[in-house]
Amino acid sequence: MTARGGLGTIRHATPRVWRGVAASPWLYRALTLVIGAVAWEVSARSVESILIPTFLETVDGFVRLGADPRLWEALFISNQALVVGFLIALVIGIPLGLAIGRFPTLERITNVYLNILLVAPMAALIPLLIMSLGLGFASRVVLIVLFAILVMVINARTGVRQVDAKLIEMARSFGASELQIWRRILLPGALPAIMSGIRISIGRAVEGMVIVELLMVSVGIGGLILSFRGRFQGEMLFATIFYVIIEAFILLGVARWLESRVVRAAGRTGR
Amino acid sequence: MRPRVPVPGFRVRLAFWPTLLTVVVTAGLWELAARLANVSFIPPLGDILGRLWELTVQGQILDDLAQSLTNLAIGFGISVVLGTAIGVAMGLSKKVEAALDIYVYALLTTPTLIFAPVFFAIWGLGSGSIIALIVLYAILYIVINTAAAMDSAPTQLLEMARSFDAPRRTVFWRIRLPAAMPLVMAGYRVAVARAVRGMINGEMFIAATGLGALVIQAGARFDATTVLAILILIIVIAYLAIEIVGFLDRRLTAWLPSNERVGGF
Amino acid sequence: MIEVSGITKRFAGRHGEVQALQGVDLTVRDNEFLTVLGPSGCGKTTLLRIIAGLERADAGQVLIDGRVIRSPGPERAMVFQGFALLPWATILSNVAFGLEVRGVPRREREAKARELIVFVGLSGFEDMLPHELSGGMQQRVGLARALAVEPQVLLMDEPFSALDEQTRRLLQEELLGIWEKTRTTVIFITHSMEEAVLLGDRVVLMSARPGRIAEIVDVPLERPRSVSVDSIETSREFAEITNHLWRSLRTMQEPVMPE
Repeated sequence: MTARGGLGTIRHATPRVWRGVAASPWLYRALTLVIGAVAWEVSARSVESILIPTFLETVDGFVRLGADPRLWEALFISNQALVVGFLIALVIGIPLGLAIGRFPTLERITNVYLNILLVAPMAALIPLLIMSLGLGFASRVVLIVLFAILVMVINARTGVRQVDAKLIEMARSFGASELQIWRRILLPGALPAIMSGIRISIGRAVEGMVIVELLMVSVGIGGLILSFRGRFQGEMLFATIFYVIIEAFILLGVARWLESRVVRAAGRTGR
Repeated sequence: MRPRVPVPGFRVRLAFWPTLLTVVVTAGLWELAARLANVSFIPPLGDILGRLWELTVQGQILDDLAQSLTNLAIGFGISVVLGTAIGVAMGLSKKVEAALDIYVYALLTTPTLIFAPVFFAIWGLGSGSIIALIVLYAILYIVINTAAAMDSAPTQLLEMARSFDAPRRTVFWRIRLPAAMPLVMAGYRVAVARAVRGMINGEMFIAATGLGALVIQAGARFDATTVLAILILIIVIAYLAIEIVGFLDRRLTAWLPSNERVGGF
Repeated sequence: MIEVSGITKRFAGRHGEVQALQGVDLTVRDNEFLTVLGPSGCGKTTLLRIIAGLERADAGQVLIDGRVIRSPGPERAMVFQGFALLPWATILSNVAFGLEVRGVPRREREAKARELIVFVGLSGFEDMLPHELSGGMQQRVGLARALAVEPQVLLMDEPFSALDEQTRRLLQEELLGIWEKTRTTVIFITHSMEEAVLLGDRVVLMSARPGRIAEIVDVPLERPRSVSVDSIETSREFAEITNHLWRSLRTMQEPVMPE
């Protein structure tokens, strides 16, 4: 059973833990799905609004949308900003966080900002971004960076701070240089926190991507959703949402897998 | 499979003098940049604070503010009641956990704002859409923290109760529930910050009422001063909300020795 | 009187099955202070837990006054190594916990709890929280809680192991003093030979793999022993019994060298 921290981590229970339960967990999950689908179908039918599709209509729309090139174009456009934004956040955020964790003066200075940025809704900055950078690719990327970078910095900082201070002392006592300390102690020690920061950051970046396109620029997935809404094609709108859910699922699954591989590899080499 | 969310020790206590120094320096740099650059999106600090004063004390946005806060309160309230109930159910019953866990996880990984068009389709321009969005933003964190909290009673205490042949009722009310409080309250703290997020994002999307709508409208006018003024207001609201929950937390978990406090917002 | 007959217990370990207890037979007399001593893995804690009713044996049975017991009951109360106090409840509430579980009304159980708090020497601490007390004091709370339900048998699972040497000695003296007054039947688990001989009327020595009773040693030292722990520990009889136990224990510890 792996029980790790971080937002949305799942603790996997092997079947033999299910003593008191009559059947496998999938039965219950399927049950929820069925109940949900039926409730949806019934309530949507009774309301009869163009914008609220029934479950079956949505399934139909889902299939049709999959074959529609517009979906894949939209995903392509949206994800461009996602990738660039995420990478920038990575490249800037991790070193920044590591530095903040290592040097107390820097931490004291930046502490205020980090605290404020944690609670500030980044979306409210969108009008400012539009005013300064216009409506193009740049402003989308900047917003995604803003969304993703904070968690990265904080996790890198925490990663460094929780490295056992005695290890650093020990290295110093053997005359290790700053570079050596980073290489052999701080970086390996901070690695699990960094990896989990990357995972959470991907989630935040996807959020940023969606918010940008729903609130700011009508391109990509957000634009697709808005156009379906404008044309009262409720089932296509809902279907698009499901595709986004799937993408988020996949990206985070990859991130979690990566995280566990890297952490395990680091653990095995004893670094 | 149960989604777990430990609350990380994000916030380091703010020391007074360094904070003050940083704030003063930042204000100074901002003013400098504002004068030098002279662009519309970096208004002078004085203008921003002045606008903030106008809006709040002189009451220009009190209606919208009231609207936003009402939505926040109702949305967060629903999240707490519903989320705690679901979380307790998931924590205590493996069947309920099995039924819901992957859906909770799926909703966690999905960018929440994407459901805004759905709520809009159902409730239109009214408060309903915003409240529904706030609930979705906040409730997941309450559910997973509460579910995890149900497990957090130390085994030795449960054994001790068993050795006295305590009935399940007693074990729940005297052991599981008190033991769960720290983590549950931590979940509420995270959730209230999320609720404020949801409130703003939702209002910006629907753009009809509330502070979020004002931000959008100001943006359309290229009025950076108002945008920043409202942003400051939102940050203050978020801070207050978190402090209120934090205060409640400290009251309800007064028995916890300070070095064991669950860190976080 | 407690009759343990043929108790056997297996656990599934990481490398196959572990025979925690095999065919353990034991009779505990009324009002006797029985100490159980042995190396780790000898099953002494498992045996205690089975008597407490927290675990079921795979074979054999435990009889208390002729009744078979399979689960926890009102005639037994346990004191834990880690104290197991409710961190969110006051000392008074903690001591009253056993009575609360038995459905005793509040006024009665609080009165009884106050009595016991005085009895174990914790007057004035009723409204404090566990974390405000030292380890030794917390264990006295645990003891008070167990005594509050007036059990026939007190089951103590290495209760002083988590404490430092000085506190342990003080608590041993106190326990002896308390026992002189109550004369409850006590089964006391320990890994310290000195403690076993100091406190017990008889010492049950157990061996590991599989867990069995190796021998039972009488401790004919005079009671009340609380009078002076130090003089007891320097007496010749004490040294003889302790040495005997050590010699036996030592052969158990010696690893079998590979050929």
